[in-house]
Amino acid sequence: MGIRRTMISIALALASASLAGLSARAEDVKLVLWSLDRDIQPAPNLIKEFNAQKNGIQIEYRQLQFDDVVSEAMRAYSTGKAPDIITIDNPNHAMFASRKAFLDLTDMIRQSKVIKPENYFPGPLKSVTWDEKYYGVPKATNTIALYYNKDLFKAAGLDPEKPPQTWTELVATAKKLTNPSKNIYGLTFSAKANEEGTFQFLPWAQMGGATYKTINSEGAVKALSVWKQMLDEKLASPDTLTRSQWDSTATFNAGNAAMAISGPWEIDRMLSDAKFQWGTALLPVPSEGAQRSSAMGDFNWAIFSSTKHPKEAFKALEFFASKDVTMYKDFGQLPARSDLPVPPTGNALKDSALATFVEQLRYAQPRGPSPEWPKISKAIQDAIQAALTGQMEPKAALDQASAKIRSIGG
Amino acid sequence: MSDVARNRLLLTLSVVMAAIYLFPLYWMYVTALKSGSEMFATPPSFWPLSAQWSTFAYVWESRNMGRYLWNSTVIAFGAVTLIAVLGTGCAYVLARYRNIWVDIGLFLILMFQVLPASLMITPIFVGFSQLGLLEYPRFAVTLAITAKSMPFFVVLVRATFMAVPMELEEAALVDGNSRIGAFFNIVLPLARNGILVSAILIFMQAFGEFVYSKSMIQDIQLQPASVGLNSFMGPNTSEWNNIMAYATMYVTPILAIFVLLQRRIVSGLTSGALK
Amino acid sequence: MKRMFSSITDGRGFDLVLVGVPFTFLLALSGLPLLYNILMSFQEVDMFSLGSVVRPFVGFKNYVDLFTQPETMSILRNTIVFVVGSITGQFIVGFALALFFWINFPGASWLRGLFLVSWVMPGLVVGAIWNWILSGDFGVLNFLLQQTGLMSGNIFWRSDPNFSLWAVILANIWLGTSFNMILLATGLAAIPTDLYEAAEMDGANAWQRFWTITLPMMRSTIGAIIALGLIFTLQQFDLFAAITDGGPNNSSNVAQYWAWDLSFRQYDFGKGATISVIMTVFVMFAATVYVRSTRHEVRG
Repeated sequence: MGIRRTMISIALALASASLAGLSARAEDVKLVLWSLDRDIQPAPNLIKEFNAQKNGIQIEYRQLQFDDVVSEAMRAYSTGKAPDIITIDNPNHAMFASRKAFLDLTDMIRQSKVIKPENYFPGPLKSVTWDEKYYGVPKATNTIALYYNKDLFKAAGLDPEKPPQTWTELVATAKKLTNPSKNIYGLTFSAKANEEGTFQFLPWAQMGGATYKTINSEGAVKALSVWKQMLDEKLASPDTLTRSQWDSTATFNAGNAAMAISGPWEIDRMLSDAKFQWGTALLPVPSEGAQRSSAMGDFNWAIFSSTKHPKEAFKALEFFASKDVTMYKDFGQLPARSDLPVPPTGNALKDSALATFVEQLRYAQPRGPSPEWPKISKAIQDAIQAALTGQMEPKAALDQASAKIRSIGG
Repeated sequence: MSDVARNRLLLTLSVVMAAIYLFPLYWMYVTALKSGSEMFATPPSFWPLSAQWSTFAYVWESRNMGRYLWNSTVIAFGAVTLIAVLGTGCAYVLARYRNIWVDIGLFLILMFQVLPASLMITPIFVGFSQLGLLEYPRFAVTLAITAKSMPFFVVLVRATFMAVPMELEEAALVDGNSRIGAFFNIVLPLARNGILVSAILIFMQAFGEFVYSKSMIQDIQLQPASVGLNSFMGPNTSEWNNIMAYATMYVTPILAIFVLLQRRIVSGLTSGALK
Repeated sequence: MKRMFSSITDGRGFDLVLVGVPFTFLLALSGLPLLYNILMSFQEVDMFSLGSVVRPFVGFKNYVDLFTQPETMSILRNTIVFVVGSITGQFIVGFALALFFWINFPGASWLRGLFLVSWVMPGLVVGAIWNWILSGDFGVLNFLLQQTGLMSGNIFWRSDPNFSLWAVILANIWLGTSFNMILLATGLAAIPTDLYEAAEMDGANAWQRFWTITLPMMRSTIGAIIALGLIFTLQQFDLFAAITDGGPNNSSNVAQYWAWDLSFRQYDFGKGATISVIMTVFVMFAATVYVRSTRHEVRG
């Protein structure tokens, strides 16, 4: 035993000596960052840039899948193997913040020269806030609006510069555009039984004056009734119930749907795939002059409270925030910043679409924040699906959801 | 009906059935060759307009598939070896006797694989992390797969041992062999084919294992091909042609081996001693 | 010490070692996680207590809560339909194919090999492909059914509550056929041919031979296949995730998918574990069938 231990310590000493000789960076602070960003998205690229600075902090990256982010993070956190930094979908932020699994950044933000709360849109900022403290920094933001096919508008005798403004107009327009013999639906959106369904429905309910706490109020019932009418009259494909937003918009790009409700992440694919003139418009409202609302998507940066290097981790976040200026140009994502104008890209179609989304963002509201958000969202999804399949009336379905949300304590 | 006509009829019939059954596989191949947006065309095109063979080279290079496939192979071989070593003896004993303990053993073997991997992963992850096994992630996954697939192996191999006549073993014991000697010299060689074949079936399953690898192997250098496939199958993907090209390269070699070996597989599982 | 050693090389000890090591291994890696799940079903679990076993005890609260949820009964019913439908389909198709290729004709064994593809294709890919095949507007299945004149309108396999579960069953039958076929083909090959020759001489027709020889001789194979098939079916997950997500309105939701959804989408680990305990009841049934089927075996 003694001999073995001596041998090992000699070996270790030799190894460390030779390492120190080879590189002076043995002292680097190593941070681990998890995110779902792929190689063409911000996180891995920003990390590369950050590491290239050689400022004594090196970040190691691990890519996760959308469905796995929270469960992997929980499993790691509960076994003491959490990463230092993570990007998390904004409705899930409160779940971690409320239990102090994320580090309270309020003091560091107050002293920071780069990250200033007043520079962010109120919606994203609200999603990182819990109990009036900041538990993260918004990474990017997005929302949904209406895309429409101008060629099909013309073919149906509609004015391509006058997209529908109200729910009634939307239904009427969809009716005119629907053409089963040509495999064309009036509208495509997603009512899938996962977070996407909630994401798409909540803005409608909010425009009707509801919140997730009053999900069975009149306006929300009316919103769900409009959705139901869309499906019952085959103005939207029955597969709306099981198709994601991305796959739904693919049918718009293929010319099989005349209007689509989705987000700015579609723009680049649409520019290359859609072989027709298209335009964008704000989400239609219940009636003229009614309040606008929209969904708020995308991820936040957060630091786990278990990190051994909070200062260094925050330094990394500051670096990422400093790159918000070029985020749209480099990665096609919108920074959650109200102080940064989105620079023109030179492509008129793209710029006008972006202008629509930036305006729509002013009305974007976060989901929650509530630590019980996944359960609340599930109740809303169940109501949507029950009503759209005709198994419950919209009112009854939303009443049931409301009772569930109350019992969860949302 | 003449023999020739009968054979032709049967052959035609089986080709038609195979064509229907293989449609999903065909669709994977065709999609790999299509361009990105041709996928969603209505009506569907059953033959790529212009085959994009370059997709394969691109995916192989950009995804570093060689490394992924190597990791898959390492994990699958590890799991199969461990399963064969542990499972063969177990199956032999469970086939040799017929009593209440054997009944309980068989019952437990099946109960042990009741939960889907997605529900097993949390307790296994917690346990492994406390034992420090997660420091050796490929080994940890190998252990988890072994636990998952061993019952299947035991059930199949036990059936093989049932086909080995008891008299042969008894004769060997009478001739002065020890139990160990009789097992290794007489029983095991006679059941060899069945064991080999069950091992191949397990290998193919382990080669595609996904849930455990995804959670336990965080270092991209050590991840198997299934995790590599998943990492570019995100919700907003439009590169289905690349994904299917990846899947094609992942599946085809093993599929070819399978088709070539399946004759032996069928005879191997029945391999009785007397063949 | 010496006695123990000789027992291991040449006696009962030999058997005990052979069976003891793997069982210890399985107890640790499968038995303990099973217990962990059962324990969790009686506890209140959140993400902070995932790593320990000491958690607030809540008795049968998770069970009571679960059974007062309106969707529970329909999901359990779906599970039974899924399991019975899938196994019946897989078994019948698999058996039919095994019998068909048992007939000796040129190319038979080659073509049989092709029916094994579903065993090697990764679940992720199978799910994505069936998703397109079954899609309502541009799916290949609808296209073919219309081209052949079997159907005039589109069926929304994934989104019509009357079809969604069957859509997944269809895909799962495809997936399970190869496993059933290869094991049944093996079982068939093991039946001694002289039995048939004798029966033929007695004047038994093909149908009678099937019922009096084939089926009885295959009894233990069939028992093993059904037991393993039930376990595979209860573990089927990829197809649900890829094709329907359990929707619409839970019409295609089954216990294993729901357990995952509760645990990893709603983070209600206690309830997720509770469902997995209910699932063990299903498997106990399968295990009993299997153990009983082994009683009829004849040692070669």
